[in-house]
Amino acid sequence: MAVLLDNVTYSYNINDTHRVDAVKNLSLHIEEGTFVALVGHNGSGKSTLAKLLNGLLLPTAGTVKIFGNSTLDGEKIFDIRKDVGMVFQNPDNQMIASIVEDDIAFGPENLGIERKEIIRRVEWALDKVGMLEYRKRTPFKMSGGQKQRLAIAGVLAIMPKILVLDESTAMLDPQGRSEVLKVAHELNKQERITVIHITHFMEEALDADRLIVLNDGKIAFDGAPKEVFAHYEELKKIKLAVPWETQLAISLQKAGMDLGEGIVKEEDLVDKLCQLL
Amino acid sequence: MSIIVKNLSFTYSAKTPYEKKALDNINLEINDGDFLGIIGHTGSGKSTFIQHINGLIKPQEGEIEIFDIKLSSARRPKADLRALRSQVGMVFQYPEYQLFADTVEKDVAFGPKNLGLSSEEVADRVRHAIEMVGLDYEMVKDRAPFELSGGQKRRVAIAGIIAMQPKVLILDEPTAGLDPFGKEQILNLIKYLKTHCSPTIVVISHDIDEITRFANRIVVFNDSKIVYDEPMQQLFKHSRQLQDMGLDIPRAVKIANSLRYRGIELSEDIVTAEDLLREIIDKYNQKHGTELDKDGCVFDMYDFSQKWLTSEERAALEGRTLEQKPQAKKQRSSKSKTLREKTVKTKTVKKVNTKEKFEGSEK
Repeated sequence: MAVLLDNVTYSYNINDTHRVDAVKNLSLHIEEGTFVALVGHNGSGKSTLAKLLNGLLLPTAGTVKIFGNSTLDGEKIFDIRKDVGMVFQNPDNQMIASIVEDDIAFGPENLGIERKEIIRRVEWALDKVGMLEYRKRTPFKMSGGQKQRLAIAGVLAIMPKILVLDESTAMLDPQGRSEVLKVAHELNKQERITVIHITHFMEEALDADRLIVLNDGKIAFDGAPKEVFAHYEELKKIKLAVPWETQLAISLQKAGMDLGEGIVKEEDLVDKLCQLL
Repeated sequence: MSIIVKNLSFTYSAKTPYEKKALDNINLEINDGDFLGIIGHTGSGKSTFIQHINGLIKPQEGEIEIFDIKLSSARRPKADLRALRSQVGMVFQYPEYQLFADTVEKDVAFGPKNLGLSSEEVADRVRHAIEMVGLDYEMVKDRAPFELSGGQKRRVAIAGIIAMQPKVLILDEPTAGLDPFGKEQILNLIKYLKTHCSPTIVVISHDIDEITRFANRIVVFNDSKIVYDEPMQQLFKHSRQLQDMGLDIPRAVKIANSLRYRGIELSEDIVTAEDLLREIIDKYNQKHGTELDKDGCVFDMYDFSQKWLTSEERAALEGRTLEQKPQAKKQRSSKSKTLREKTVKTKTVKKVNTKEKFEGSEK
C-alpha cells in the first residue's frame, strides 16, 4: 500500500486555548500506481493532507504510513521524504540554482549519490518532463509551465514512488497547465509513480483513476470521477462545481431532455447530442 | 472616450542581445462604460500594455491619452502621474501578495492617503471600499490581512484600489489561484464594481469562459500586436484563427462547432452556455415536436447556496439603508466632494426639500 492513513487528525493551534482541526479522523488507502485527484474548497484540508504525507506535518492523532513506514518514526522520515516528492503552487519559489541541471542535481547531491549516477538521473529526469534541451539554460526566464516541469524533474531526480502536486497548476496559463498534467500522467503510466494531484480545476480530475473530495477535513466523496460528479447537488453545497460539460447535460436534463448519466467530457456530450438532435 | 492609444510600441532591453519587442504599433480606444476583456498568450504583450495605461511604463514610441492626461516619450511636459493613478486603478495578479500593513484598515488607507486627501475623507473612503468588496468593516478593520482567507485577502487588496475611486479599473487575472467559490465571488464583485464604482473596467484573463460572462468587447493580443478587437458576440467567428494562435475558445463555441461538424445546423451567435442551451432545446423541440421550455433552462453551475452579499444587500438584511453605518457610530460630517453617487443623490434631495420648505414659508 503506497499510502495508508488511519484515523488521522491534525489540529492547528490558533492560540493557547483555541485549536482548529484541519483534518479530522480521516482514513484513506491509496494503492501504488494510482492517479488520484484531490479537490475541495479553500480550507477543506487538502494542503494539510499533502503535508502529512511526507512528514512536513505530523498527525495530532492517528498514523500516516508510506509503504509501511510511519511518519512518526524518526528513523524512517528520510526514507519517507525520498519516497514522497512534493511540488508546490508557485513556480518561482522552487528554483534554487541558476542553471537548470544544477537545480535538478541539488536533490541527489544532498543524498550523497555518486557523480555518475547524478548525471544519469538529471538527464533522465529532464527527459521525462521534456526539458532536456534546456539543461544548460537558466530557469528564471522560462514560462510558468516550464518552471513547474523543472520542479517536477527536481523531485524526480530523487526517484520518488509518490508524486504530490499541491495545486501545482493553479498559477499557470492553460497551456502550462496541460503541459504539467501531461507529464504527471506520463510518469504515472510509464514509471508507475503514484500521483496525488491537488487542484481547483474539476476538468483536471477527469482522467484520474480516483477522485477524492475533501470537505471540512473529511472525505466527502471518493470514487471514479464520473461517479463523483453524479453527486452534483451535494458538490455545490460544499462550494465545488462540476465540469462545464456535466453542468450543461444537467441543465438539459432538467429542461426535459434525456441525456442519461455519466457525461463529463466534451466527446460524451457531443455524441449524446448528435443522437438526440 | 476614456483612453486613446496611438501607435504605441515598446521594446524590452533594447540594443542588447536580449532585445524583445513587447508591443508593436498598438492602436486602441477604450470607451467610457466599456467592459473590456483582454486575452492573449503569456508573453503576447497584454501586461506590458496595461502597465502603460497606469503610467508604470513610459511609452517609447507613440502616445496615450487618458482623460486629459497625455503620456508620450517626450520628457516635457511631465505627465501628472498622481492624477493618472487616481483615475486608473490597477489590480495586479495575486494582489494579496502586496498587502503589507498590520491592519486591514491601514492597508486600504494607503492609496487614498497618498492622493493627499484629508484624514476624514480617507476614513470615509476606506469604510466604503471595504464594504463595497463585501467585507464587514467593523469585523475586519483591525485584523491583520494575513489572518484572512485567500479570497478575503484578495478582496482587501481590491478595496485598496477602490478606495482611490478610479474611473477606470484594470484587473490582471483577478481570479487566478482561487477555488471555484472564490472565483465566483470575485466575478460578482467585478460586476458590482462596474455599476457602483468604476464605470469602465478592463480585465485580463486566460479563462475565456470567464470573460464571456461579462465582457462586451474583447481585444486579442498575439505576438505583440492587437489582432482582433470585436464585440464579444462577434469575436468567435474567428474561432479557428484563435485556436491556431493557441488560445482557448469558449466551451459553448467549441461544442457548437463540433455539433456543426457532425451535420447539425446551429445559429451563428452561440457564445455562452445559455446561448447553447436555448439553441439545443429549440432544435430538440423542432425534431421531436415537444415543447420544452428553453427560457426556463438555466446554467446554474455557479449557483452556490452560500452567496457573497453586496454591502447593499447586507444593509437591507440588517434593515438599514446603505448610508446608515452598521452599529451606528458617531456620524462623521463628511464634506467630501467625491462621495458615491448614491450618497450625493440623497443629499441633493435633502437640499431640495429644505429649499422647498424655505420657499413654502416665504409664500
